[in-house]
Amino acid sequence: MIEIRLHGRGGQGAVTASRIIATAAYEEGKYSQAIPMYGTERRGAPLTAFVRIDDVRVRERELVHNPEISIVLDPLIAKQQAVVDSLKPGGLVLLNTAYPPEEVKIGGDFKVATVDATTIALETLGRPITNTAILGAFAKITGLLKVESLEKAIKKFFPGRLGDMNIAAVKRSYDEVKGPIQAVVKDAPPEKVDIHVGGYGVLKDVSSWRVYTPEIDVEKCIGCKNCWIFCPETAIQWDEEKNKPWIRYDACKGCGVCANECPVNAIEMVRVEV
Amino acid sequence: MSERITRAQIPISELTITPGSACQGCGAALAARLSFKALGPNVIRHGIPCCPDSVTQTPRVGTVFEGGGAQLTGTARALKAIGREDVLAVGFYGDGGTYDIGFQGLSAAAERNENIIVITKDNEAYMNTGNQRSGATPKYARTSTNPIGPRSRGKPRPKKNIPFIFAAHYVPYVGTASVGFPEDLIAKVTYMKTIKGFRMLIVQSPCPVGWRFDPAKTIEIARSSVQSGIWPLYEILDGKTFKLNYKPKELKPVTEYLSPQARFRHMTEDEIADIQETATANWENLLKADEMGRLTL
Amino acid sequence: MSYEVMVGNKAAATAVKLAKVQVASAFPITPQTTITQYLSEMYAAGEWDFDFVNVEGELTSQVVVQAASKVGARTFTCTSGPGLLYMHHPMQVTGSSRLPVVMAVVHRGYKGMQPDHSDLMSQQWTGWGHQYVEHAQEILDSLLMAYKVAEDARVRIPIAVGYDGYVLSYTAEPVEIPDQGGVDKWLPPYKPMPSVLPDEVDPTTFSRGWGGGDPQMPWKIHHEAVLKIEDVLKETMDSFEKTFGRRYGNGMIEPYKMEDAECAIIAMGTIAGTCKAAVDKMQKEGKKVGLIKLRSYIPFPVKDFQEWAKKLDGFAVVDRSICPGKGGPVFGKLRGSLYDLEEKPVTLQFHAGLGGKEVRVHDFEMIGDKILKAAKGGTVEQVTWI
Repeated sequence: MIEIRLHGRGGQGAVTASRIIATAAYEEGKYSQAIPMYGTERRGAPLTAFVRIDDVRVRERELVHNPEISIVLDPLIAKQQAVVDSLKPGGLVLLNTAYPPEEVKIGGDFKVATVDATTIALETLGRPITNTAILGAFAKITGLLKVESLEKAIKKFFPGRLGDMNIAAVKRSYDEVKGPIQAVVKDAPPEKVDIHVGGYGVLKDVSSWRVYTPEIDVEKCIGCKNCWIFCPETAIQWDEEKNKPWIRYDACKGCGVCANECPVNAIEMVRVEV
Repeated sequence: MSERITRAQIPISELTITPGSACQGCGAALAARLSFKALGPNVIRHGIPCCPDSVTQTPRVGTVFEGGGAQLTGTARALKAIGREDVLAVGFYGDGGTYDIGFQGLSAAAERNENIIVITKDNEAYMNTGNQRSGATPKYARTSTNPIGPRSRGKPRPKKNIPFIFAAHYVPYVGTASVGFPEDLIAKVTYMKTIKGFRMLIVQSPCPVGWRFDPAKTIEIARSSVQSGIWPLYEILDGKTFKLNYKPKELKPVTEYLSPQARFRHMTEDEIADIQETATANWENLLKADEMGRLTL
Repeated sequence: MSYEVMVGNKAAATAVKLAKVQVASAFPITPQTTITQYLSEMYAAGEWDFDFVNVEGELTSQVVVQAASKVGARTFTCTSGPGLLYMHHPMQVTGSSRLPVVMAVVHRGYKGMQPDHSDLMSQQWTGWGHQYVEHAQEILDSLLMAYKVAEDARVRIPIAVGYDGYVLSYTAEPVEIPDQGGVDKWLPPYKPMPSVLPDEVDPTTFSRGWGGGDPQMPWKIHHEAVLKIEDVLKETMDSFEKTFGRRYGNGMIEPYKMEDAECAIIAMGTIAGTCKAAVDKMQKEGKKVGLIKLRSYIPFPVKDFQEWAKKLDGFAVVDRSICPGKGGPVFGKLRGSLYDLEEKPVTLQFHAGLGGKEVRVHDFEMIGDKILKAAKGGTVEQVTWI
């Protein structure tokens, strides 16, 4: 049995990717199971999904605890050492990043492959939904699935033109994946971004939710307080002395309301550097 | 009636503890933040199942989905019994807990004129479970239980007029508010604190995920809803005294509100005209009531 | 026949479509929610002639299908945990009225959203048949069979088919979808018996009840009708296999690798699947322990367990619900069933998976080791919390 873990964030299609893999495996006469991490999904919040593939019907219902393969759909999450936590020794990690596998900073005893799935998704689908843009790479580096089976499965999930666009993304990622190579870094410290953010109540740090980050040009600011009053998370704080805003980045989810409401465009949403 | 305030009068201090677990650009999280700014800390917050919005520095109690009106009643009666009527019994509920499963208990609490405050963050569907229709969902909106198909054009029936329904219980206060108009919202909550009996505020709270728009546009959409007459801001006292709080010289076309939201994308010109006609007619009625300063329910 | 990799909730909605249900009603609640969405999509697409009533609460959805069933429509509803508790009051009326309503219960515990079996277990007195299933294919098949059994003239009892939330409701796996033609032939249209239509009503049925006579009699009749599910379910399982090529034991229980077993683990729902994986592993290691998956909790397979008890040295009962202060319901009922036997196997109680706690393959290995040891006269604790 092969066990796979997928990391992504709400809206990138990690759960759909897990189901496409399971469907493609069944197309090839194998049994499969695609499990989303149980809980509440929030747009932008990191999430996990799992796949099992076997020659016989999969009986067990526990979550996947020691996967052979880790697939990471999001470039920011792809920087986190946590994506290889409890990976089987000698396992494989496939990262969505523009860097070649030689320059990957996460470390341990595993093989690493990379593909710039975000760019592929933007160029083939027009949106940064990276689920299909990573599956071609997955097929190539693991040899577990034929591209034709993936195509069949994708047509079940995305009929018509959307299906063709997604199949184009699969093909490009099949061609453009780099690696796998043995991980260059042997031992890496964990990064600070929590990739298991979720649930109800107060969260610790939601920096990992952001795709875009607000940056304030205080020179342009006229002190109208729009950004402050409309921030759903009180991430925009008001400095009464200076009559200017400042940002609590641990509380900012990157929604962009502040920038949208600023009458003088003093706030810019900047793509999170990956 | 509430009294106008300015942005400078809004307190800087916050009662919410953030970051919360709401989605990016959540209107309901903002509704909580703004309401509690005005409510202050001397509150027992009551919850029932709904979207997570913002955690507040107030004691919080909860009960079953259908029990919203009853739990506020119990709290209010006990506060009276122990001589602590200075503490506010506030329900912060969703539209399901107000319009639908919670309606019976709230209606009964209104009829008894319980000494409670109900604030509804109305995001117009069951968003916590993934955008299933509710009694608050507007006509033609696509939801996960009103898909578009040969037999369905989105929700077939209009949104319940819940403020008027509660006003027809002849309770001391019913108001509407919007997260796009924070001064108005805060003024209304502040006024509610000065009176006793059953008080209700329905806050339209756009949901980027369910209404399907870019989360940066939450406020823009809340504002255009009010400016186009889809969600007018008003107050009704004792089921008769009426005041419109926001009266533009001319309404914006409803398309300004509908177009950015993908839940309305399938609508035909006739369907849009239907919404426009309803909004305009409703607005004219409200203007008349506002001129007279009273409603006949 | 076709297949689709689908989640448990889609399998449930697909069964509703194949059974050509005429009136369905439900209120969304996690983790049942997506059933309401699939049914709405099927309704919007006009896939067959049915009505789906999106309502404002579970009390309403239960009463809607109850009334629709009285008039003569084939009906379906579904819910989870708290929603089921809210339905409790009208469920009793559906049971007492002998209406063949079929309901999917997507298990959700009392404490939190994760699954255990306390929701359906708490509905024992409402007079329904209660079944627990393990995987998505079994959801589809069991719901189809539930209509056949519930509508049988000998039974006329509503049936609830329970499956674990999240673990099954949102997990996708391959499901074979039977052809509509085959289902139509195997499951003919529902014939109400009798209906409440003014020209058809039999005044001795629906209108009776509170008019005097022996107040205990309706309970006796109700009890006996529920017991009849056992024979009809066994027959139905045979005809289902003949038509569609799949079966789940005799319908009441599904023994797994029990041929050479000396002891059995008894489990229900998805954890029975995890137990199967553990049994595979243990038998490879020469441990003589198998699984008896309990499918029908009401009626309880008393005779089946008595037969197995004669052959076995021990039962390890894994309860995924608990009546606080009283204990695991399956354990209590199983022990009661064995009381009249002269020689009784050892029985051990395990509490597992409550509040959605994950139950893993190695947990079942531990359970297997314990029952084997106890059966050989070793000392182990009677009650274990996994």
